[in-house]
Formats: sequence, C-alpha cells, structure tokens
Amino acid sequence: MTAALASLAGGEWSLHGWALATAAVTAAACSLVGTLLVVRRMSLFGDALAHAVLPGIVVAALAGGRPGGPAVFAGALAAALVTVWLTQALRAAGGVAEDAGSGVVFTTMFALGVALVTAAGRGAHLDAACILAGDLTFVPFDTIDLAGLPVPRAFIGGGLVLSLLVAAAWATWKLQVFTAFDAAAARAAGLPVAAVTGGLLAATALATVASFQAVGAILVVALLVVPAAAAELLVRRLHHVAFVAMLLAIVGACLGYLAAWRWSVNEAGAIAVVLGLEYLAAAFLAPEDGIVARALAAAGFRWRVACEDVLAALWRGEESGAAAAPSATLRGRAAGLWLRAAGDIERTAAGWRLTPRGRRDAEMVVRSHRLWEAWLGRHVELPTDHLHPPAEWVEHHLGAGVRQRIEAELGAGGSDPHGSSIPPEA
Amino acid sequence: MTAPWLSAMTAPNTLVAAGGVAAVGFAAGVVGSLALLRKRPLVGDAAAHATLAGVAGGFLATGRRDLPTLLAGAFVAALAALGVLVLIRRFTRTRDDAATGIVIGVSFGLGIALVSGLPRWGLAGSGGLEQFLLGHAAAITGRDAAVLAGVSLAAVLVVAAAVKEITLVAFDAAFAAAGGWPVDWIDALVAALVAAMVVAGLPAVGAVLVTALVVIPPVAARLWTDRVAAMLMLAGLFGLVAAVVGTLVSATRPGLATGPLVVLSAATIFAVSLVVVPRRRQEGS
Repeated sequence: MTAALASLAGGEWSLHGWALATAAVTAAACSLVGTLLVVRRMSLFGDALAHAVLPGIVVAALAGGRPGGPAVFAGALAAALVTVWLTQALRAAGGVAEDAGSGVVFTTMFALGVALVTAAGRGAHLDAACILAGDLTFVPFDTIDLAGLPVPRAFIGGGLVLSLLVAAAWATWKLQVFTAFDAAAARAAGLPVAAVTGGLLAATALATVASFQAVGAILVVALLVVPAAAAELLVRRLHHVAFVAMLLAIVGACLGYLAAWRWSVNEAGAIAVVLGLEYLAAAFLAPEDGIVARALAAAGFRWRVACEDVLAALWRGEESGAAAAPSATLRGRAAGLWLRAAGDIERTAAGWRLTPRGRRDAEMVVRSHRLWEAWLGRHVELPTDHLHPPAEWVEHHLGAGVRQRIEAELGAGGSDPHGSSIPPEA
Repeated sequence: MTAPWLSAMTAPNTLVAAGGVAAVGFAAGVVGSLALLRKRPLVGDAAAHATLAGVAGGFLATGRRDLPTLLAGAFVAALAALGVLVLIRRFTRTRDDAATGIVIGVSFGLGIALVSGLPRWGLAGSGGLEQFLLGHAAAITGRDAAVLAGVSLAAVLVVAAAVKEITLVAFDAAFAAAGGWPVDWIDALVAALVAAMVVAGLPAVGAVLVTALVVIPPVAARLWTDRVAAMLMLAGLFGLVAAVVGTLVSATRPGLATGPLVVLSAATIFAVSLVVVPRRRQEGS
C-alpha cells in the first residue's frame, strides 16, 4: 500500500490520478441514483437496465459514436426506453408477470448487444470483455484538451452526468422522498409521480452509460445497489442515506483501485469486492441495526432479566419468610455474583439477603408483575393460574409511568388476583 | 462440396457438444418452469453471477481445470450465493431486491477479479477461464458433454419424482404448509435444481446470460398452455431447440460466443409464441 501511494505521488500520478478520479465520479453518480432505486425497491430494475442499455451503446458506437459521446448516451437512453416499454407491453399483451418479463427482456437485450459486438469484431471502440468488466487503465489515454490540459473523455462525461444528477436530485428531492415512501398519496396529492419515475429511469440510464467504459456493465449493478444498501443500514433519513452512499462509493472506488493495482487484478472487480466488504462491515457494525449492536442489546436485556429475576426471587422469599438463593442456573449464579458486587444483595449467616437498595429495585419488579396480573385479571378472561406467565415476561418492560397509570385505573392499595399485596412505587 | 459453414456445423465434435448442450437446455427449461410457477423466475440470477468466482475458486483449490472440477466449484459458489441471500434476509433489514443486487454485483466482481488475476499471478494453465463469461461451446469435449447430459438427466429425474409436491407448493404454499408439507425444503430443492442447471449451462451459455436459459423457455411455454405437465415438456423442448441452434450457429465462425446466440434463439421462440398464440386473458402467470 505504501508503495502504491509512493508511486501515485510520483511519475505515474497523472495516469493513476485520472483513472481514480474517473472511478470516483462514476461511483458517486451511480450510488446517488442507486439510493432512490433501493428505497423504491427497484434495485433489480436498475440491474436489468444496466444490462439492457448495451445494444443501444453498441449500435451508436458502430455508427461511429465515440465512447462517452452524445450519440452513445442517446443510444443507451433509447435502449432503456425500449426495455421499459417491452416489459410493460409483455405484461399487457401476454399476461407475463413483470419480473419474468423483465428477465426475458434484459437478457435478450444484453445478448443482442454482445452478439453485435462479437459479430462486428474490432474497430468499434468496444470488445466483449470491456463491456463486462470495463477498462479503467485505458481511461487516461483517451483525452480532450481543456485549456491546454489533457482531460480524459470518460472523466468529463462522468463529471457532467454527476453534476446533472446532483442538480436534479437537489431540485426535486422532496418530490423524490414523497414518491419513494408513499407513491399513492403523492399521486393523490396531484404530484407528477409518473414523471418522477420516468426521470429516475432516465437518470439510471445516464449513470449507467457514464460508468460503462470505466467499470463495465456488471460493476454498474454493484455501484447502484451496494453502497445505497449499506448506507441504508447506517443512517435513516433519505438525504443522509444518499450522502453516505456516495461517500462509501467514492471510498470503495479508491480502495478498490489501489487493491487492484497492488494485486494486479481487474479494477472493476476489485472495486465491487471492496463495496461488498463495506456492506458487510455496515451489516455488522451499524450503530442501531448492526448485527453486533443488536446482539449486544439482546444480551444486555437477557442479563437485566436474569438480575431482576434474582432480586424478585429474594424479595418473594423475604415476603413468605422462606430463605431463597439466587437461581442455580449458570446465568442466575453469575447475576447473583454481579448483584453482590454491585451492592444489591449480601450474604449473611442466614443466607442471601437484599440490601436496602436491592430491596427497592426488587419491589419495583414485583410491583410491575402484580400490577400486570391485576390488570389482566380485570380486563382479560384468563383463569387465575394463567396470569403468572405473561406477567413474568412483562415485569421487565414496565416503567414507572406505565405502573402509575395501571394503578390509577385499578385503584390504589390493591392486591393482585392471588391476594398478594402490591408494593408502593418507590 | 459443402459450404464451410455447413461442414463446421456438422463436424463430429460440434455435434457431440450440441448433444450435451441440448440435454442441458431441456433440463433447464423443465427446472426453470418450476421456478416460474413458484413466481421466483429470477432465483437463478444471483447464483449465475456467483459461478464465475466458483470456477476460479475451483481452479485455485485443486490446480486442475477439467470441466467437472470447475463446475463443482461453480455449484458450491452458486449454493453459497443463495445461502448469503438467506443470511442477509435473516440478519439485516436490507430488502430482498437489494440483497439480490448485492449478491449479483459483489460475487461477479469477485469472479472478474479472480479470473483476471490468476494468469498474472503466474499460475500455470489458468488462462482462458474468461470463456465462462459468455460461453464457448466449442471447448466442450465428448467427456464433458457426457457429464452435462448426466447432470441434466439427474435434474429431470428429481423433477419427475417431486413434481407433485413442487406444484402443490407453487400453486398454494399456505395450503401446503397447513397440510404439513415441508415448504421451505421444497423451495430449497427448487433453488438447488435451478443452481445445478445454471452451473450446467455455464460452459455453453456463460455466467452472464445463463439466467435466460431458465427464464425464457418457461415464459414462452407458459403462453401456450395452462397444464403443468405440458408446460414442463414444452419449456424443455424450447430450451433444447434454443441450445442446439445457438451451439451450431456459433460453430460457423471461430470466436463467436455461444451464450448470446442461445439466448437470442430462445428469444426468437418467445417472440414467435407471443405472435402465434391467441391472446389470453390477463391473469399474471
């Protein structure tokens, strides 16, 4: 990695720098569009479109259009429109379900594109491997002079598309959010939902074409879906998701490019793998929804239940005059040790005993339990011996506020259906 | 004196390869019909894109590059991709469509990275794996064709043995579950069959387009008939014809990838069916 950085700063800087910059702008453009596709559950539609624009690109290229030029963009948009129209027409005319129809159309369009490329042979600025996997290393050699500075054509195309998409997203963001989360309500409110969806499809086609030369058809799918899905796990609000997705995509593109350089593998493939690792990290480490966070929260809750059960058992023992010990299960014993260290229970010659602080906590658990039994006894037709199990579960979930409301409804100073008195609020 | 393209088509090795691919086309049509009836026509797409990494992994793990070894690697990768889908669904709140997109994009990227890296890492005999991208039927030997035919026959036999249960689950999963049928296991069986046929289709059609082999013939067959048995047979027949036509046409010019031609043949059958079959009521098959 150090060697890679040193080389970037040295003579190869301009070549690597331009390739990196191109990868970064196309990644940002794709992930911005992808955010809307993912929240609208249209990820696979983006996948289909990324395949289906190929014949449009090939026909335009065979007709003399340059990669990244306006003709190629027009061809891709036309192919995208044909795909959407064909899928809808199959559903209307043949009764073919949308996913099956899309499966027929996008594979056929892609096959047509590949067949055209292989039939035309060389000389069309395209070949089959490049279509699938892109060719970032070639990007810095196809340049246009901008004020004396040779700038890669793919970078200019990608940069223009990115600026256009950011501007369009900025201008229509509220509309996008409304449409994404409640299309029916947006339609009822008189908003142009069909135009928004159409615009999203056009944006997908644009981002796809801009990325095609740099990263190829399949990586476009990864760039559309993976950063957005990862960002969705990390943050909630849609504009945060879009921002984080673009950030993840740019970082992924840069790290992937360096990894490809280090291990001499295809850049597009390496970038896709890095994006996958980012998603994996997000799935595990997301602050609220991450696998680790949820496992910790669940373990923390089970631990609290174990401690509260120990306290409540001791309290009931004191109430009935029988000595009680912390539960004999491993977790119960561990909870007992913890509570002793925390000063909630203590060991005397007569056995385990609650300290004043532990007694207060235990009373609140028992209070929750008996209030819930009393409430169930009044409102739910359950036999009295069936009230204990639900209360045993709910006792760990009731806070002071809920307890007071239940007590206010039942009338103060009551007892539970078994006749035991309900301890007062601390 | 026959034309060169005709003699290329009828060369013995071409015909042997076409025979193996024909069996794959038939079985893929049959298996794909079950996935379509279960309303999961694209279940094979994630598996298909993962196969490339499996091919490279199979070579890396064994150092051999005979077809059965590579396809075994591909099958493991296909099952792993389906397993990852299940894990994402179980442990994250990522929705199914995005999960499928993730598996497609990342697994294919891994495959591309491995296939591009192997020759540059100086591993002898690792070139040419990229023919599994778009299919290259000319590379199929007589022994390979026999393996492909065997896998296809096994898949068709499994379908024949379990077609009643699979149909029941496909048409009314809730009823099947209430009746005590192991719906999840039957779904897993269908997914595994699709994965097997996607892998078997790999040498001729390639990882990128092999989904079409399990999607297009069943969708075309569905236009013709409402009966399950007829649909299975018809989809198998369409798949067989598309596979043979694509293989033979690709033999006429060296360097012509087989996969796109197979898919375009299947698409032609579908288009003709759409025109020929009288309009049906819309019922969202």
